[in-house]
Amino acid sequence: MPSLGLPIFGQTPAGGTPAPRWRSLAERDGRVDPEAGTYPDGEQPPPEGFSRRSFLQILGASTALAGLAACKPPREQVVSYVKRPASVTPSVASHYASAVSRGGYAVGVVVESHEGRPTKMEGNPGHPASLGGAGLHELATILDLYDPNRLAGVRRHGQPVAWSSFLGELSVLAAAHAKDGGARLRVLAEPTSSPTQADLRSRLLVRFPRARIDSWGPIADDAARAGTTLAFGRPLDPEYRLAGADVVLSLDADFLATEGDHLRQAREFARRRGQPAGMNRLYVAEASFTVTGGVADHRLRMRASEVLGFGRAVAAALAGHHGLPQLGPLGAPLTGDRNRQATAVAADLARARGRGLVLAGRRQPAALHALVAALNEALGNAGATVVYREPALLDPASGPDRLELLASELRAGLVDTLVITAWDPVYTAPADLDLAALLGKVPNVVYLTSRDDETARAANVVVAEAHPLERWGDLRGRDGTASIVQPLISPLVECVSELDLLAAFVDQGQLGAFRLVREGWMARAGDAGAGGSRASDAGAGGSRASDAGFDRAWSEWLAAGVVTGRGAAPTTPVKTVLATGRVAAALKAVPPVRAGLEAVFAPDDKLLDGRYAENAWLQELPHPVSKLTWDNAASLSPATAARLGVKTGSVVTLTLRGRSLDAPVLVQPGHADDSVTLPLGYGRTVAGPAGTGVGFSAYALRASAAPWIDAGLELKPTGRKHALAQTQEHFSMEGRSIALSYDVAELPKAVHELEEQRGPQPSLLPLVDYGKEEYRWGMAIDLGKCIGCGACTLACQAENNIPVVGKEQVLTSREMHWLRVDRYYEGSEADPETISQPLACVHCEQAPCEYVCPVNATVHSDEGLNEMVYNRCVGTRYCSNNCAYKVRRFNYLDYHGTVAPQLKMLQNPDVTVRARGVMEKCSYCVHRIEHARIDARVAGVKIGGDAVVSACQQACPAEAIVFGNLNDPASRVARLQQGERRYDLLHELGTRPRTAYLARLRNPNGELV
Amino acid sequence: MSALFSPRSDALLKLVLGLLAGGAIATLGGFMLYVRTPYGVSQNEQLVQPVMFDHRHHVQDDLIDCRYCHTTVEKAPSAGIPSTGTCLACHSQVWNKSPLLDAVRASWFTGKAIPWTRVNQLPDFVYFNHAIHVNKGIGCAECHGRVDQMASIEQAQPLNMGWCLQCHRDPVPRLRPLDQITNMKWQAPANQAEVGARLAKQYDVHARVSCTTCHR
Repeated sequence: MPSLGLPIFGQTPAGGTPAPRWRSLAERDGRVDPEAGTYPDGEQPPPEGFSRRSFLQILGASTALAGLAACKPPREQVVSYVKRPASVTPSVASHYASAVSRGGYAVGVVVESHEGRPTKMEGNPGHPASLGGAGLHELATILDLYDPNRLAGVRRHGQPVAWSSFLGELSVLAAAHAKDGGARLRVLAEPTSSPTQADLRSRLLVRFPRARIDSWGPIADDAARAGTTLAFGRPLDPEYRLAGADVVLSLDADFLATEGDHLRQAREFARRRGQPAGMNRLYVAEASFTVTGGVADHRLRMRASEVLGFGRAVAAALAGHHGLPQLGPLGAPLTGDRNRQATAVAADLARARGRGLVLAGRRQPAALHALVAALNEALGNAGATVVYREPALLDPASGPDRLELLASELRAGLVDTLVITAWDPVYTAPADLDLAALLGKVPNVVYLTSRDDETARAANVVVAEAHPLERWGDLRGRDGTASIVQPLISPLVECVSELDLLAAFVDQGQLGAFRLVREGWMARAGDAGAGGSRASDAGAGGSRASDAGFDRAWSEWLAAGVVTGRGAAPTTPVKTVLATGRVAAALKAVPPVRAGLEAVFAPDDKLLDGRYAENAWLQELPHPVSKLTWDNAASLSPATAARLGVKTGSVVTLTLRGRSLDAPVLVQPGHADDSVTLPLGYGRTVAGPAGTGVGFSAYALRASAAPWIDAGLELKPTGRKHALAQTQEHFSMEGRSIALSYDVAELPKAVHELEEQRGPQPSLLPLVDYGKEEYRWGMAIDLGKCIGCGACTLACQAENNIPVVGKEQVLTSREMHWLRVDRYYEGSEADPETISQPLACVHCEQAPCEYVCPVNATVHSDEGLNEMVYNRCVGTRYCSNNCAYKVRRFNYLDYHGTVAPQLKMLQNPDVTVRARGVMEKCSYCVHRIEHARIDARVAGVKIGGDAVVSACQQACPAEAIVFGNLNDPASRVARLQQGERRYDLLHELGTRPRTAYLARLRNPNGELV
Repeated sequence: MSALFSPRSDALLKLVLGLLAGGAIATLGGFMLYVRTPYGVSQNEQLVQPVMFDHRHHVQDDLIDCRYCHTTVEKAPSAGIPSTGTCLACHSQVWNKSPLLDAVRASWFTGKAIPWTRVNQLPDFVYFNHAIHVNKGIGCAECHGRVDQMASIEQAQPLNMGWCLQCHRDPVPRLRPLDQITNMKWQAPANQAEVGARLAKQYDVHARVSCTTCHR
């Protein structure tokens, strides 16, 4: 057998420098110390409180009783429709378009529904913010619909009140407020772009001219809009067009996972990755390790407060060396290594004028956003890779400033009635406001929420809020594209929408959101006049014919998920004039960077601001970078941790501005030194069983003066430890080169190395030739495109009825995700590069699992799929032991039998729900293959090579996963698997996996290497 | 000292051991036999339904095609249980005062579905699809039997995996022309081997036996 030439863990390859790969610091140092109470992978702890004798007694008894119980399965009932809706074919799924709000902006979704029961949310290919991809929150939102802990109805001090009588009370209350023009009425609303709500708010303000509506969102883009106000004189939203960007400099912007239209941005970015031709280059300057930082060609590790200085150094270099004197007053050079980096980045940006892009993160001050606007203007990127639009939000300012204003009024007792529709402000408000105490001073606090939470405890009246799949509404995307939010199911509990509640104040609460939305759009379509669009047909004076025209347009909007016609189209980008003087003054006013430990607040990738804390799917999803589940932790760099004498799991006391908090520490390689990242969204005190008491609440340290970056943090070890359930240390592949990556210039040299990692291997076993079959299913995963966000894992969980197991089970390596995303570090501990690798069953043609199953429960299909037959499995787990990829999952407990009844409505009826004692794994979405096969064969055609889309592929915003028929040479997967970057994982084992990987390419700047 | 065990105890021991071994085998064998009996698979079991619907009358006397009520059989996994509305399409006109139809009218006016008892019941891990079978030349009667002769619907076939596989391994003897799918009286011609083979080719029949064909 020829030498594989693979680097061996712990050995120096001949003629090269050592390039060890490691998955955690513990692994790198060779100290994977099994702590007391934990067991290696797959090992079971001894049973407690249950002796062998009592086990045998129960075994005997149950055997004796088995004969009585197992005579026959019980007869089921079949329930037919009374009147079958024409659109429903029983046993065939329907799909409906809708939209969900992300920071007030629409993300288009397509919802799968089985006989009126929504089971899955996917991205809407026709929506500009999704393009078919789905993020973690779009995928996970459906779980909240069936949450058994949702609130129902209206409650005043815990006592139920009927909605109809509550409407009457609101009417009286509103009339009382109308007397003084609503001077003592305030609304604290969720940021939204809803046109219907815009109408409603203007009607509210007509009736209550002295009232005020404030928006509050704890992770708002206020600094970005303040920056454009500095630069251009008014708040604008930048829209990044990464398709045309050759060089991208992200100044602390996690634009691939948490900021802006991240799904569209990830897609546009990934389309320029992978193949060597036309690759873009990404520089990321950041403190905490983010998804975007993980795919950067150059990750410039710096404290968050130093990012502004770095941006100014880039501006200075551009002004000094590249003929952009207008940037002179904005620039300020740095010294040493940092300046060398800035000069190299500036040179690269200058080479790519009009084809470059600079972005700033929402954490950064307004001055940096203004500087970035100036850089893009000077480089000619404005208008090409970045355009500016009027914010589609009704209230562009939704940061702490507005909340402070409201708080001061509450403190002064100027408010009698406060309506809160913003999500849980008592929990999310900056700690210095002490909103909980202030709410006590308001006679009437009406709070709309879907679950009991911190604010609900402080409110007099709590109104249950409808889930987005239960209500009518509308939203706009960042570019102004409008979508109708349509319900898929009548409310599971008694609940209303934000529109219903606000409409009650103008005595329209009984109308219902449907009429508000539809009549609003009818008016807008009418206003548009004869514009030549379909919607404008409705504008001809309200005749029957035009009603029919509107009806047709309305149905089309609902079907497409996007409103077409006038009043709904994307806004046109605005022309901008840069005010350099104002930007320069703002930059000068920024205080200098303070030494010492710095706190950086970050929205959590999974829970965002905390509104998903009760979502068990998201809680159990491993964090994209730290692989942490069911917790958050204060991350800091290895050097800082060593200096402070803490390690992962140490509990420390954090003190900031006189407020203290205990939190566990997570040592994050690649984190900036002297900086601590505090993820928001955890530490809920009032949530359901999934979210209460999980992690710590970073809001408790957050001040309204410095909501994102705050200096002067003190950190003291307490000596206590906290078990963090990371999936990172599990499934270690013992340091072999698993996820390959090369610099794009190295690729010609690497081709030979890659060739050795594909192709046939000698085998003692008879080879089956699947080339003659009509279909040979396979997958290609492009590591060059993968950003490691974890959407595939969640899409798989939703599609395949994968249970949630809880923190204790994750700690014993019993997580059930069929598809995991492995994350490897490369290079130094202080500043490593990362590579993410999605891994599910690779469907080996010579599968090790199959040879060891004593009951033939895992076998090969005629098309070469590695099938798992649940009804044959007796749970020996031999297959899992023999699986080289460690992708099999065992149902140690009855995870499904113990869930609430309404959660069973969520389950996909096309996939078997597995019982206890059964092995399971990725099936390549075989139910989708079989559906496609039956449809094609009934129609008498072949399944197209790209026609079957796996759930992970469908969700992937970066298009990194491609599934299809390898026997169709025209299919995308076949072409990708023929490519030069293709390699097989653990090729030396000769398993002939059907899933092939494409090595990642990096495009580093020679000047910085 | 007398012996602890009498000479008889040896035979007794052998008898007990034999009974134990035999009993174990008989128990196991009994269960294996039991699941193969018509009783064990619920074949021909008489079931009480909420409405005494008589297929004999509707199929034989009224000559109603199966697909009039089971509307989705050609295009969906489920053949479809007729909605109450389907029943009343005729029975609002004929027998509209019959007490036998009280439950149907009650369902219509209350909006509550009729709770039929499932007759042909497959385990939850089996995904059967009607559309592919009726589009490839498998008649209703192959699995459901002579429904036109059943006063109350009963399970005509064992519906266990061995029975499914008989046909999936060799569908030729059971293939019929597509225009005969719902014909209850269709008989295979004498040269079925020849006709069936031709039909298999014509309809592009590929009966699959991979596990995931039915178990997903």
